[in-house]
Amino acid sequence: MAKTYDYLFKLLLIGDSGVGKTCLLFRFSEDAFNTTFISTIGIDFKIRTIELDGKKIKLQIWDTAGQERFRTITTAYYRGAMGIMLVYDITNEKSFDNIKNWIRNIEEHASSDVERMILGNKCDMNDKRQVSKERGEKLAIDYGIKFLETSAKSSTNVEEAFFTLARDIMTKLNRKMNDSNSSGAGGPVKITESRSKKTSFFRCSLL
Amino acid sequence: MERVKMAEESLETAAEHERILREIESTDTACIGPTLRSVYDGEEHGRFMEKLETRIRNHDREIEKMCNFHYQGFVDSITELLKVRGEAQKLKNQVTDTNRKLQHEGKELVIAMEELKQCRLQQRNISATVDKLMLCLPVLEMYSKLRDQMKTKRHYPALKTLEHLEHTYLPQVSHYRFCKVMVDNIPKLREEIKDVSMSDLKDFLESIRKHSDKIGETAMKQAQQQRNLDNIVLQQPRLGSKRKSKKDVYTIFDTEVESTSPKSEQDSGILDVEDEEDDEEVPGAQDLVDFSPVYRCLHIYSVLGARETFENYYRKQRRKQARLVLQPPSNMHETLDGYRKYFNQIVGFFVVEDHILHTTQGLVNRAYIDELWEMALSKTIAALRTHSSYCSDPNLVLDLKNLIVLFADTLQVYGFPVNQLFDMLLEIRDQYSETLLKKWAGVFRNILDSDNYSPIPVTSEETYKKVVGQFPFQDTELEKQPFPKKFPFSEFVPKVYNQIKEFIYACLKFSEDLHLSSTEVDDMIRKSTNLLLTRTLSNSLQNVIKRKNIGLTELVQIIINTTHLEKSCKYLEEFITNITNVLPETVHTTKLYGTTTFKDARHAAEEEIYTNLNQKIDQFLQLADYDWMTGELDNKASDYLVDLIAFLRSTFAVFTHLPGKVAQTACMSACKHLATSLMQLLLEAEVRQLTLGALQQFNLDVRECEQFARSGPVPGFQEDTLQLAFIDLRQLLDLFIQWDWSTYLADYGQPNCKYLRVNPVTALTLLEKMKDTSRKNNMFAQFRKNERDKQKLIDTVAKQLRGLISSHHS
Repeated sequence: MAKTYDYLFKLLLIGDSGVGKTCLLFRFSEDAFNTTFISTIGIDFKIRTIELDGKKIKLQIWDTAGQERFRTITTAYYRGAMGIMLVYDITNEKSFDNIKNWIRNIEEHASSDVERMILGNKCDMNDKRQVSKERGEKLAIDYGIKFLETSAKSSTNVEEAFFTLARDIMTKLNRKMNDSNSSGAGGPVKITESRSKKTSFFRCSLL
Repeated sequence: MERVKMAEESLETAAEHERILREIESTDTACIGPTLRSVYDGEEHGRFMEKLETRIRNHDREIEKMCNFHYQGFVDSITELLKVRGEAQKLKNQVTDTNRKLQHEGKELVIAMEELKQCRLQQRNISATVDKLMLCLPVLEMYSKLRDQMKTKRHYPALKTLEHLEHTYLPQVSHYRFCKVMVDNIPKLREEIKDVSMSDLKDFLESIRKHSDKIGETAMKQAQQQRNLDNIVLQQPRLGSKRKSKKDVYTIFDTEVESTSPKSEQDSGILDVEDEEDDEEVPGAQDLVDFSPVYRCLHIYSVLGARETFENYYRKQRRKQARLVLQPPSNMHETLDGYRKYFNQIVGFFVVEDHILHTTQGLVNRAYIDELWEMALSKTIAALRTHSSYCSDPNLVLDLKNLIVLFADTLQVYGFPVNQLFDMLLEIRDQYSETLLKKWAGVFRNILDSDNYSPIPVTSEETYKKVVGQFPFQDTELEKQPFPKKFPFSEFVPKVYNQIKEFIYACLKFSEDLHLSSTEVDDMIRKSTNLLLTRTLSNSLQNVIKRKNIGLTELVQIIINTTHLEKSCKYLEEFITNITNVLPETVHTTKLYGTTTFKDARHAAEEEIYTNLNQKIDQFLQLADYDWMTGELDNKASDYLVDLIAFLRSTFAVFTHLPGKVAQTACMSACKHLATSLMQLLLEAEVRQLTLGALQQFNLDVRECEQFARSGPVPGFQEDTLQLAFIDLRQLLDLFIQWDWSTYLADYGQPNCKYLRVNPVTALTLLEKMKDTSRKNNMFAQFRKNERDKQKLIDTVAKQLRGLISSHHS
């Protein structure tokens, strides 16, 4: 089968229930917004293909249920993720406080080199704001993570968030590939890196 | 003989002469001529002369005797006369003197007498003049009165005065010039009265046109009050707007009338009679409109002999006004007030005509009014059909229906047939039903759009009772559970159920006052409710189910919800029975078909779940990146497939509340779809060559699928039922990986064949791809015996397969 993309990036959305994870994904993949809150059950995903530096990149974005009762199921998807978005609701201080807990979950279950990003959603509801942008930014800086305030409803910073995360993953991947090439001659190579290498070889032969 | 004759003649002549002599003695001198002529006419004047002389002598003798006899007296007398002569002279002097004095003093008197004479002459003239004037004065007075009456617009009395003047007074003095002028003016005055009366009539027509809607409004309100009174009497009070007292209503109108209407005048007894009739029929009409102009005008035209002209004009103008009244405003359908004004005008028009009919003799007749009403009815109905079709607000349609009923009832009181209006109301009922269905379509859409598709959580007994009160749900198990707990259905279930009941109430409201039987009402409600369930609600559910991007969460909840709604249909049946009092056993009762709607919706949701899952599977498959030419073997399944299986596993794990059969069907559908897709992936034309290594990698993926099937992701499957979905792939892969062609070809067609499910066409297709791979290496193969032998084997097998295919076709 001929591949229709150059790279596959798996992203994961996590955060408290009701902060807008599904709405962000819906806005990014369908450019639409649904005002009714329908709680996600278990796990869901959407795929959108973007282009970065001339490369076609398929983003497979997993949407997780924020409710505690689905934690076992959703945690299983952490390991496969290449990028994780931690989402809180600026009108709900508790969801912001829980970002620390979500970060701990990531450190426990995700791969160590996963790209991360913190999103403060619902920034269109400034009149009900409970978490200032400065506090959000500070938290991100403390953990060395990028930060954006978004609004799925008003379509603010949604594209920016996903493209930023994808670009960072691409950058890291390119760096890793360069390292692999330079150190190809020596040392044992992990299976994952080998697959990347093979992929690179395949693409070169096409060219 | 001659002597006798002579004697007779003489006697006769003597008599004649005697007569003549007496005449001469007695007749004046002036008349003696004819007498004497008669003497000379005869021949006897000589004898006459003798007689005359004789008579003269006799007279002389008598005189002489007399003088002798009275001589002494005569002498005494002469003496006396001489004395008198002296006295007379004295007297004469005295008289002359007196006369002179009198003459002197009488001059003044004569002058005075002359003056008196002149005065008397003048007086006579004056008296004659007065007598003449006395004859003329009544004429002038009458004329003046006429002018006054004209000026004060009392035209009927003026006409009477004019008649009197013309036929009674003027003939007596017709020779005077001013009377001629009057006579000449009479036709003009008559025309003026006519014209002014017509002008009054036109004002009247304008007045009733302007007040039509107020008259109609009053009549409609009266009908409403009468109906309310009837309801009170029947002890069936109904909610309605507060009723104004009769006095208050008329006070308002009276105030307005005084400022806008001409003052009526009691100039004939007819008006009094009319007043009494007014009180009985339309108390408000008389207060709103002064009818006296039409009565006066009618009388005037009757007196003038132009009654027919008047009648024709009146009817013609009223027909024109009728057409104007019946012309609905272009935006009538937008508000109820538009309709109300329209109806008020029509009612007002016909109340006035009815009043005219009963208070005049022949100005309008029943045939004329019936003709007008027939036209009015057809135009009204046409207008209502047109405008009501624009209504999209069921409340407006309902209010309109109530207004039409009131309109019909009001006119029926006045004797106008209104059956066609009630027939049209049944059409409007259909219109109302359509409007309701549209409204409820919106209602359902809102409910479904705003639902969160999650079971309703309840944290207290109060909340629990509230939900159970809205929706007839009974579950002893759930009832015993401690709080917090959840109802299995989401919020749209009680909401939809309640809205269905509201719809039924709305249908019922339209049937009020339409004089329908309970059975008819029940039948109508059931039909409408069936339309609501089988069309409106069904479409709403289908639209949600078919919506792009609907998630599994929503679909699963819809299945659960529709199951509960289906069970609630029997309660809806009871609900309808209760409000219409028609027993379900009644013949021809329409049944509710709601259960069908919910079954259909559930099936659609189930199908959509299968479709949805399959679409997810397809998205994963698009991520597949097999290297069909690989020689290396990875020791695990492809990444995309591992993710796919994990997704399916977690999906079925979380939907534990999905009905068992639905979950099983969904799982089977997913597995079949996955197997079919993988097979297509393997056989698609774009893959021209593949290696054994690639096939072995593919086999790892299929094993992952089989592992999923064996793991029992959904309870209720028989031991290996789910795994059967992958059996075709399994046998095909086993055949190729184990290179077991001798067994396949030898056993082909046998019922217990190991590779029973491998189709020769499929096998050949795949073999061709592998043969091409081997052929590609021919250069090297020439130097290796093994490769040459393998090539021969492949050729042999291909040949055999083609044979099988050919024989199968023939």
